[in-house]
Amino acid sequence: MKFVVNGRPRTTAAGPLTTLLYVLREELGLVGAKAGCQHGSCGSCTVLVNGEPRRSCLTLIGTLDGAVITTVEALGEPSHLSDVQVAFNEHYAAQCGFCTPGMVMAATALIERKGGPVDRHEVVEALGGHYCRCTGYAKILDAVVAASRGERLGHMAPTTLEVRGVEP
Amino acid sequence: MKAVGASVPRYDGVAHVTAASRFIDDVRLPGMLWAKALRSPVASARIARLSTAAAETMPGVHAVITHADVPKNVVGHQEVWGIAADEPLLAQDEVRYIGQVIAVVAAETEAQALAAVQAIEVAFEPRPAFLDVRKAWDPDQPQVAPDGNVYFYYADQPQRQVRKGDVAGAFARADVIVEGSYRPAAIEQAPAEPASAISVVEPNGRVTIYSTSQALYYSMEITSRHLCLPTGQIKFVGGTVGGGFGGKLDTVTEPVTAVLAIKARRPVKWRWTREEEMLCSSTRASWHIEIADAVTRDGWILGRRTLTLHDAGAYMRTSAYACSKHTFHLAGAYSIPACAFNTFVVKTNHVPSAAMRGFGVTSASFAVETHMNRVADVLGMDPWELRLKNANRVADTSPSRVAYANPSTVTTLLGAARAAGVELPAELAAMTNARRHGALLPAHLVGQVSEPHPHLLAWRDGRPALEGGN
Repeated sequence: MKFVVNGRPRTTAAGPLTTLLYVLREELGLVGAKAGCQHGSCGSCTVLVNGEPRRSCLTLIGTLDGAVITTVEALGEPSHLSDVQVAFNEHYAAQCGFCTPGMVMAATALIERKGGPVDRHEVVEALGGHYCRCTGYAKILDAVVAASRGERLGHMAPTTLEVRGVEP
Repeated sequence: MKAVGASVPRYDGVAHVTAASRFIDDVRLPGMLWAKALRSPVASARIARLSTAAAETMPGVHAVITHADVPKNVVGHQEVWGIAADEPLLAQDEVRYIGQVIAVVAAETEAQALAAVQAIEVAFEPRPAFLDVRKAWDPDQPQVAPDGNVYFYYADQPQRQVRKGDVAGAFARADVIVEGSYRPAAIEQAPAEPASAISVVEPNGRVTIYSTSQALYYSMEITSRHLCLPTGQIKFVGGTVGGGFGGKLDTVTEPVTAVLAIKARRPVKWRWTREEEMLCSSTRASWHIEIADAVTRDGWILGRRTLTLHDAGAYMRTSAYACSKHTFHLAGAYSIPACAFNTFVVKTNHVPSAAMRGFGVTSASFAVETHMNRVADVLGMDPWELRLKNANRVADTSPSRVAYANPSTVTTLLGAARAAGVELPAELAAMTNARRHGALLPAHLVGQVSEPHPHLLAWRDGRPALEGGN
């Protein structure tokens, strides 16, 4: 089984019924996609497969020969965040942070597909299957709409940020 | 005060949006084994037979633990507060709820651990389960614990209680007595991140535990009791907590993985599935609450009697604490001069209940506010008027006899009315939280107006505390 993950060709010996989430987290060490429910209900494992958001916990590796997979790890770095990441940070759209990678990937795919500004209704449709138990939905909607318009508030630009708490 | 009113960066904001934030399930250690548990399929049963011999020989298995492997199996979540230890880490001789952990396997992979769990030989003799708190005193009901279904706060007193004023007199003088029953249901905290822990025994014998606990030192204390190790021999490493909401006070994965790691001499990780998180972790309790109010036709609450039955589930965990808070809040935000509140902690064969947001108070608030609407209905009175009239004001005393220095009931109600677009009559809209006088100080409230304690009025350095205002 061969596929491309974040621009790098990858292979796996895992059986065809192994989930993409398992291969990403346990074999490739890409732990950005989270195992929240492992049966397609929460959306925290969402990654892009050929540009489309997919629940990696329900996506079987046997269906992915030749696929191009993008995870949150390829989206941006602290010094170079994507528009969606900037908006999530500026609008405080992440609370505990567990659902955030899935939300960010689904929002990225929505804006890519739309190619321009999206309204709140479209965000609700696209992210409706994503669960945020902290219930920070209003700020997530704000962030995705702002990102789709390319808006940047600039009040927490990466260059001024003190990034803490990342390492143990 | 530079931060107040300013939009400042979250310290973990960039880490969250880049997924650099480390959750416990993201941690991988060399040589790490995976744990899976045998859990009770029934709500109540005697364990007639338990044999792990076959499981221990299964491929990939490094250790299988039962109650016999835990240095101190029975521990309480609130022993430091004097609540007796009552909960086994791993079931011994009996199970009291569906999902109770009986034995745990550590193997090279989760699949191997699961296969070994299925090879554990266990036989149950099911018993009738006790599931309805309203039947707590029915002698025919199954007994959950050897000491009965009702917890005793004191040797001679089962209930948490509050007594204030002349309750019998209030009910004798009442124009109307309004009664209601309220039954808030159990709720699962349902954090996005399931409970997870990794334990590793360091070369010097200390045990390092990576934990999703929302209260690391609390969980470390409970773990140290199970392991019979001083806390100085245990190191807790937290992660980014993927939502706790009270449910991640419960301390199970930490001591279980520690016992496994000590036995297997390898790091052990146990992450719960969504099913385990929903079915086997603690919930917010379900409650049965009865309220009777002695009221006058013009809307004064002279007295209140309550009976609360709290569904603790199979073991105490934090129920005694939740019920204390519950009882102290049963007057709600209102001034009631005569109170008799009785709250009972009832053990059942449900999953143990424990903390969740508001912890004992949300159930009181739900019952009290619903009951206020019922009182208003019975009296044919505007519920805003009933609430504002009885609202706590400066120098009113709580059921536990704290004189309020700066109560916010009136301010909150007027703010809620504004936000809801409710136009209040002028005399209600003009209300403040100032000390009662005139028509707002009827005879039955005179005796409960007291002097607020000075420390409630000012900070320690003498600056006045924030004004209530309107």
